[in-house]
Amino acid sequence: MTPALLWIPLLPLAAFALLITCGRRLAPPVAGWVAVAALAASAGATLALAEPVLRGQRLAVRWAWLSAGDPRWALGLAVDGLSWLMLAVVTGVGTMIACYSIGYMRGDPRYPRFFAYLALFCASMLGLVLADHFLLLYACWELVGLCSYLLISFWFEKPAAAAAGRKAFITTRIGDAGLLAGILWLAWAGGTLQFDALAGLRETLSHGLLTAISLLIFLGAVGKSAQVPLHVWLPDAMEGPTPVSALIHAATMVAAGIYLVARTLPLFTPESLQVVLAVGLLTHLAAGTVALTMTDIKRVLAYSTISQLGLMMTALGLGAAALAMFHLTTHACFKALLFLGAGSVIHATHEQELGRLGGLRRAMPWTAAVFLIAAVSMSGVFPLSGFWSKDAILLAAQHDGPPWLLGALLAGAVMTTAYVFRLYLRCFHGAPAPHAGHESPLIMVLPMAVLALGAAAVGLAGSPWLAHPLLHLLGLTQIHAGIDVPILLWSTLAAAAGLWLAWSVGVRRARPLPAALRPLGTRLYTWAANKYYVDEWYQRLIIGPYLAAARGLSRFDLRVIDGAVDGAGLAGRALAVWKERFDRLVVDRLVNGTASAVRLAGAGLRWVQTGIVHQYLLVVVVAVVVVSLVLK
Amino acid sequence: MSVRLILLLSHALFALGVYGVLTRRHAIGLLLSIELILNAAALNFVLFSRAFGHVEAQAFALFIIALAACEAVVGLAIVIGLARHAHTVFADQVDLLKG
Repeated sequence: MTPALLWIPLLPLAAFALLITCGRRLAPPVAGWVAVAALAASAGATLALAEPVLRGQRLAVRWAWLSAGDPRWALGLAVDGLSWLMLAVVTGVGTMIACYSIGYMRGDPRYPRFFAYLALFCASMLGLVLADHFLLLYACWELVGLCSYLLISFWFEKPAAAAAGRKAFITTRIGDAGLLAGILWLAWAGGTLQFDALAGLRETLSHGLLTAISLLIFLGAVGKSAQVPLHVWLPDAMEGPTPVSALIHAATMVAAGIYLVARTLPLFTPESLQVVLAVGLLTHLAAGTVALTMTDIKRVLAYSTISQLGLMMTALGLGAAALAMFHLTTHACFKALLFLGAGSVIHATHEQELGRLGGLRRAMPWTAAVFLIAAVSMSGVFPLSGFWSKDAILLAAQHDGPPWLLGALLAGAVMTTAYVFRLYLRCFHGAPAPHAGHESPLIMVLPMAVLALGAAAVGLAGSPWLAHPLLHLLGLTQIHAGIDVPILLWSTLAAAAGLWLAWSVGVRRARPLPAALRPLGTRLYTWAANKYYVDEWYQRLIIGPYLAAARGLSRFDLRVIDGAVDGAGLAGRALAVWKERFDRLVVDRLVNGTASAVRLAGAGLRWVQTGIVHQYLLVVVVAVVVVSLVLK
Repeated sequence: MSVRLILLLSHALFALGVYGVLTRRHAIGLLLSIELILNAAALNFVLFSRAFGHVEAQAFALFIIALAACEAVVGLAIVIGLARHAHTVFADQVDLLKG
């Protein structure tokens, strides 16, 4: 079983290596099929692991990484129920999306590179899920961030896409910094970073320390899973190709945050779980209201993802990791399907503004059908997937949460149904739009059909009808037996209310509010339609001052530092001028003066040297005579 | 012959040699005059050897004769070189060392 474990992340990685090095030499569809084959093989390897994992076994590979002193650091891959479920989601949904991309990306000039990035994205996500150690998880976590940057700004010729990639990268980096700090603190305080040792740390570390560390780790999840206040990157990430949006929203990027919190849940103290709950609920409701007002198909879906991630975070805040993962699984299916459906619409009509779409049901029957299945599943209508996972969370909220929580989540459910059906009805029903759509090719419809099957039926794995195999897999022992009929009724009521809202307000533009409340409603609508001005506030409070400070520093640099450097240069030059003058006037004159003195002396003395021997001899004789007279 | 007389003779020889060196223009004349000076010195050595009974001084006289022979060889060689290169044997016509 161990080799299969290694193959799961290595196959997409190999596909990435192959495509990035010689992808250009492959014919375009071949490059796509390489990625699909690698992901499908990973999915096969995951399925091969199913049998022992379902029996509750934990498979692991481990190798020594650093053996300097104690503690010895080991890296490894491990599969338990939680990570197996994530593996299944990533490989399954990833394969479908890669398959779909073969059709969607046809004719793109960087076709092989797209699939190379896609494969790397999946490989790093698989590595993240398989890691049994914080360090490997962090490395893969950053790789996921890098791939998201590469893919969101895949069409980097568009300035908006380049900016969106940058924004995603920088925003998630804020969370990553928190995660890194948490990991380092944990290593320093706890001495271990193995995931299987986390439960043991609960006894040894102090309560406050655990709270601080878990909140730092949660900050990483907030960035990656686009929770308030770091959610701003996700809507902008819609600038990337639609399959990338599907991958980010369903399987890879945002799921990482949920997985991280679920994996490290033993570290979370009641206080930090309160924070998780609050952030999750706030995200769920705020993003839901924004999704109601967006008019771009992909942005509606983006905010709906943020909202659903908020729901998962809420479940995590209740301590129900298994339920959050269950919802993540069903969400992966129907959200990937919604995105692929939206991509199909965009592919056919080159239009993503809701106001210019409509009546596509006739032209695109398959897309409309799968979109409807996904929408119904997302609304939580009995007995599709979304119902089981959402109702499990509602049930947990009723039992473990404060009394108002159930009401808040039901309000969120109303909004969920409302925005998704508003999207569906305005896209596929009503008066046909000027853009005559056409059905997408089989290569795009087939993955959608498979995902539709998942969106409809995956939830059954966590339903009481099949005795909750999925929840057992995730280690949940106390399960509410049977279907809770009041909750079922409540959620159905919420879905019906949402549907009515979508129909009356979203499509027919009715005004349900009494006239007295209308100004307030308009104001709320304006707020939501402008995303609560979060981007504007960031611009004003953080980015603006930051840029101003940078500009100030640049000016300081230009004036003071450059001035000092230039001044030093000028002073050096002035000094050199003076030195040159000194050299010329003093040193040169001294040297030349010596030479001229010698020349002058020579000129004066040259008459002595006549060259006539007799005169020399005469001098000698006279000198001898004089000397002998003197010495006498 | 008294010592004084011979001493007078050697001084006269020396004076003649110095006069010749200072006045002769011909290079060979110069050499001859130098020969006179050397022989005046040799005569003095022999004279004082006889007068004070020292034998060593006679050895010096022999050295001087040998030296004079060598000097004549070198001097004549120089004179021949002079005649070949400067086409003259007159010492005052050669002033290459004039400053």
